[in-house]
Amino acid sequence: MAVDVTQVEKTADLAKLRFTPGELQRFTVTFQEILAYFAQLQAVSTEGVEPMYHALLQESPQTPMREDEVKPSLGPDASLANAPRTAEQQFVVPRVVE
Amino acid sequence: MNEILRLSVRQLTQAIRARELSVTEVVTSYLDRVKEADSQIRAFLSIDPESLLQEAGKLEARIAEGEQAITPLTGIPVAIKDNMATKGIRTTCGSRILENYLPPFDATVIARLKEKGALILGKTNCDEFAMGSSTENSAYFPTRNPWDTERVPGGSSGGSAAGVAAWEAPLALGSDTGGSIRQPAAFCGVVGLKPTYGRVSRYGLVAFGSSLDQIGPLARTVEDAALLLEAIAGPDPADSTCSERLPDAYSASIGKDISGLRIGVPTGWFGAGLDPRIERKIRFALTTLEALGCTIEEIQLPHTEYAIATYYIVAPAEASSNLARYDGVKFGYRAPGELDLETMYKETRSQGFGEEVKRRIMIGTYVLSSGYYDAYYLKAGKMRALLANDYRAAFEKVDLIVGPTTPSLPFKLGEKTEDPLQMYLSDVYTVTANLAGIPAISLPCGFTEERLPVGLQIQAPHFQETKLLQVGHALEKELAIEHPQLPL
Repeated sequence: MAVDVTQVEKTADLAKLRFTPGELQRFTVTFQEILAYFAQLQAVSTEGVEPMYHALLQESPQTPMREDEVKPSLGPDASLANAPRTAEQQFVVPRVVE
Repeated sequence: MNEILRLSVRQLTQAIRARELSVTEVVTSYLDRVKEADSQIRAFLSIDPESLLQEAGKLEARIAEGEQAITPLTGIPVAIKDNMATKGIRTTCGSRILENYLPPFDATVIARLKEKGALILGKTNCDEFAMGSSTENSAYFPTRNPWDTERVPGGSSGGSAAGVAAWEAPLALGSDTGGSIRQPAAFCGVVGLKPTYGRVSRYGLVAFGSSLDQIGPLARTVEDAALLLEAIAGPDPADSTCSERLPDAYSASIGKDISGLRIGVPTGWFGAGLDPRIERKIRFALTTLEALGCTIEEIQLPHTEYAIATYYIVAPAEASSNLARYDGVKFGYRAPGELDLETMYKETRSQGFGEEVKRRIMIGTYVLSSGYYDAYYLKAGKMRALLANDYRAAFEKVDLIVGPTTPSLPFKLGEKTEDPLQMYLSDVYTVTANLAGIPAISLPCGFTEERLPVGLQIQAPHFQETKLLQVGHALEKELAIEHPQLPL
């Protein structure tokens, strides 16, 4: 499956990344090479194979759970300490509501 | 060189316990060495000698008052790869997007080290967000290989590996997602171990590939690595992927007889792509293992040839999800100006991330997107299952698998930066362990005529780190590699 600049642009949009036209062209070329490399997987039969996403799934098939008890947490000051913009113990973001 | 630097971790803690050495003397020796060597090696991103000496003094007082028991790591300075949260100490992940990030918490491994009286020596350089095989992707500067400063130390834990190799730290922590502990260990002539997935808590490790990442030790000897692994391994309720199994007594098992162990050597790993200078050293090590009573047999891991393609679909996919949090809102860099939300996100991320990180986010986003998910991500998940099966079948016939860690010797800075795919191919022997979740160690098995180190890799079934350490130690002792004089 070849990929063109439009698809790369769409992907960039999904990933919230912005490229200059020059970067986009160069990137598309590398992207094509990498995708061409991935194509070899199509030749391998995986009929009836369950995908594996977690190395220990057999050992611990369930997500471990705990009692729903309140435990200590970071607290507002520590949580906000690295934020670029805060106000009144909240993270400030650009306006999103009209 | 200061003789204190030559002491093993065991010798250091024994001397501290016997009051032959003070913690301050140990720390000062290492700080002096960092001052001497690091302007050339550039292993460290953050190091605060004054703070460290204060910590050393406080530790000594606690020991004197009986408040700190002397554990196998008490008084030992440990260098930490800069992708692990250290409370109040800048943690950058080698990126500009976290240039001033001060974690409000310690990673579990850090908390465990502190409990045991170890000291955080400093934060080491790495490829940005652990993405790379040379540490050239650090947004700050490249680290140099101590054996030849024109060459890379490997990556992504290049700073940790180079720091240990150059005697700037007795121990270091790195992380390994596709080989990022083992490959730099091989390139720098030190020991590096990637534990079984779930053996060590990932809480506080900045996530790259959540189903692949593991924190592990780097050290100059197998025993030192075992001591560090022991200190950090074990269940952690803060990481739901961390196994509830208790760790083995790793250092206690070292020295046991290894005769009778069956070693498998994958035929496919010794093809045209492997540098003959590396092959020679590996073959010699295999005959040494035979002399120690092991049997060697050829095995097949037939899906290895697809491992890189599989890995470079899975890891970027997971990374694209994990790096979505860098959006300028809760922490890290935010693009200046009064921008609308969409623009703010795009500018923040595009300005804050380096090229390789952006490339991997793009690959990951693409392979997960509608219309492509089945052909790529789902397919890769199935390939991963086939690879794990290869290992299962192999471990029915053999106890351990041995082969090279890398296909090539440490390359020169700039040699592979133009062609990302070339760089990816250097991970061919290491990614399989991450995909299958099995533990693996790299240890030095010789130096070439050009005085470049060669790494040998041992792989074991899940949770059998003890076998890796036993065989690694026995081989290390028998080979008795004489390290050439370091250029520095």
